[in-house]
Amino acid sequence: MDVAASLTGFFPRSEALVQATRDLDRGRARPEAVEALTRTAEAGVADLEAKLGLAPVTAGYLRWADLFRPFAESWGGFHVGPVTRWFETNTFFRQPILERPPERSAGAIGRLLPGATGAAPAATAKVLLPGPYTFAGLLDNRSGETSEALVHRLGRLLAEELRELAGQGYRSFQFQEPLLVVRPPAGPAAESVVAAYRALAAAAPGATTTVWTFFADATPALPLLKRLGVSFVGIDLAETDPAGLPHLELGAGLGLGCVDPRTTLREDPETIAAVAREAAERLGADRILLGPGGPLDLLPAGPAGRKLAVLPLARAALLGGGR
Amino acid sequence: MTRPRLFPTQEIGSIARPRWQLEGQRGAALSPAAVEEFRRWNGKLGFAPPEAPGEAPGAAGAPVPAATVRDWAALFGLRYFESLGLDRVYDGEARRVEMYEAAVRQMRGFEFQGHVRSFDNKYYLKAAGTGPVGLDRPYHLEEFDFVRDHARAEPKVPVTGAYTIADWSYNEHYLGQRTGWKGRSVRRAAQREFVVEVARAALRPTLRALIDHGARVIQIDEPAAGTHPDEADLVAEGFNAATEGLDAEFTMHICFSEYRRLLPALLEAKRCAQWTWEFANRDGPDHDAYQLLEMFREYGDRRAIGLGVLDVHRDLVESPEVVEDRILRAVRVLGDPERLWINPDCGLRTRSLDVAAQKLAHMVEGARRARARFERPDA
Repeated sequence: MDVAASLTGFFPRSEALVQATRDLDRGRARPEAVEALTRTAEAGVADLEAKLGLAPVTAGYLRWADLFRPFAESWGGFHVGPVTRWFETNTFFRQPILERPPERSAGAIGRLLPGATGAAPAATAKVLLPGPYTFAGLLDNRSGETSEALVHRLGRLLAEELRELAGQGYRSFQFQEPLLVVRPPAGPAAESVVAAYRALAAAAPGATTTVWTFFADATPALPLLKRLGVSFVGIDLAETDPAGLPHLELGAGLGLGCVDPRTTLREDPETIAAVAREAAERLGADRILLGPGGPLDLLPAGPAGRKLAVLPLARAALLGGGR
Repeated sequence: MTRPRLFPTQEIGSIARPRWQLEGQRGAALSPAAVEEFRRWNGKLGFAPPEAPGEAPGAAGAPVPAATVRDWAALFGLRYFESLGLDRVYDGEARRVEMYEAAVRQMRGFEFQGHVRSFDNKYYLKAAGTGPVGLDRPYHLEEFDFVRDHARAEPKVPVTGAYTIADWSYNEHYLGQRTGWKGRSVRRAAQREFVVEVARAALRPTLRALIDHGARVIQIDEPAAGTHPDEADLVAEGFNAATEGLDAEFTMHICFSEYRRLLPALLEAKRCAQWTWEFANRDGPDHDAYQLLEMFREYGDRRAIGLGVLDVHRDLVESPEVVEDRILRAVRVLGDPERLWINPDCGLRTRSLDVAAQKLAHMVEGARRARARFERPDA
């Protein structure tokens, strides 16, 4: 069994960066000073990931205001909308408002990624992007396009993004798709998701592509997830009962969200290993990617770091056979 | 409690901090704008005590202790609401920084973990429940005593509910006592235990102390109730555990939620006398938000309704006619005007004091107009 571990979402800002960004908003800090501190904090997250053997690295995506903001601020057709609850959490994002069919803005996303900020070389970094279904489902669509057409269009635009980023050396792309399990699509909506991911897979041949789902039970969405043609499909084990998973061939590596960002309580590595074995056996997976079940920025930085440190221990337990 | 008249009015939560309070509490010399603001509102409300007639705290040169500034701010809040004609008032939560941290700091079994980003560069401090919940001392008492001693209208004290305290914390202790994989059902059972322990061990002694100090109307705030609608039964269970055996009028305020998903489980909060909900935010030409009240008819629940008639997220000041129309629509759905209290959707803290005052004045006038229709049906 091939077992890897990686961060699978945004990491929280350090307490120093929290204070600095607050001060920035209050006019008590200079933007250059906050930028310098952001770079230091990104390097700190990248170092932590490397120390824990997590690869590829993310550097935490600390400068991203939320998963959609870089797109809402730079792509044509969008503007930034109201503060909106991020699923069933006490955190929020600013809802993108789409007034007309979206247009990609070349270079806009890349400059926020680890390779551009200096946090990590592109070849060793993971690109986190909103999945087309979640992106389309959470924005305020005033463009006149149907939701299916929008999923399809966002898939094509994100595919263009992948081509550009692959040209810069990035080899790993992960799409955040909580909505695929919170509100699984069916019928034409599901077909639009499949079409979008086909476009994405074709955009960066040879690259690792991952769909990461969280915040709900993935079981009902598995038949669709196995059709997406990605390298890894991630499921949130805090929401998905491993014993309730069906026996099916996923046809992809299995991502297991085995560290729960909704609690500071640290998971037991041996228990993770046992659960992971059961899930892998049921889904016919011999490639496992361990990661946090949802974005770790639901925790403060200190507890998030301690939870992250569970991953290499769980990996070792899984590789070691265990009980 | 006594109902003063048909369609009585009440506030719900905090109002904006006046600049003179923020600057005065920091011990800073007041800016000219802060001094002007103080004079203007004192001229309207006459809230400042005799020892500082017409002057802002600290404006005369000698620094005023922060506690004195907070007293004056509480008086300001009281007179602000009273001058606008509200029947139930509090102090605008003038002394509270927020609704979570201050309460948790009085409890045992919690450890603050650090900041979580709410959105953009906004953060909140979050604690973990790391041991059995306990209480160092009941809270809000000094604040309530001050209100009790100075209020001219009936006071209603807001207290953060047990479910919200638990939901806004990490559940480490009760979850950690369970072995094996912490799946959804395990987490839910642990959360139930956490909520009930916060209610029994911390909230209930606080409510009892408030009642001993004279509180007769207590608003339990449960803003987290809408975050996990499938846990509405836990909200109710926490409410029941916190209020068990206590004699007061308890209301429950929840806003910005998918209310339909909370019922009928929430109705198990048996000692809740009034559901204080937001409606105006979702009311519009194409959507009659007050039809939502039909739910209470469906479930046969006849408790009082705190009817949100002011959208707290917009500066647009609702006219008295709009407020009146909203009240009358609610009456048509409920079929009983006696069940209604009239209030903003939520606290008006995000609006300026001037805008909030205009909105509240129109709310009071709208309630008066609606009242007149029932007193003089031909009006």
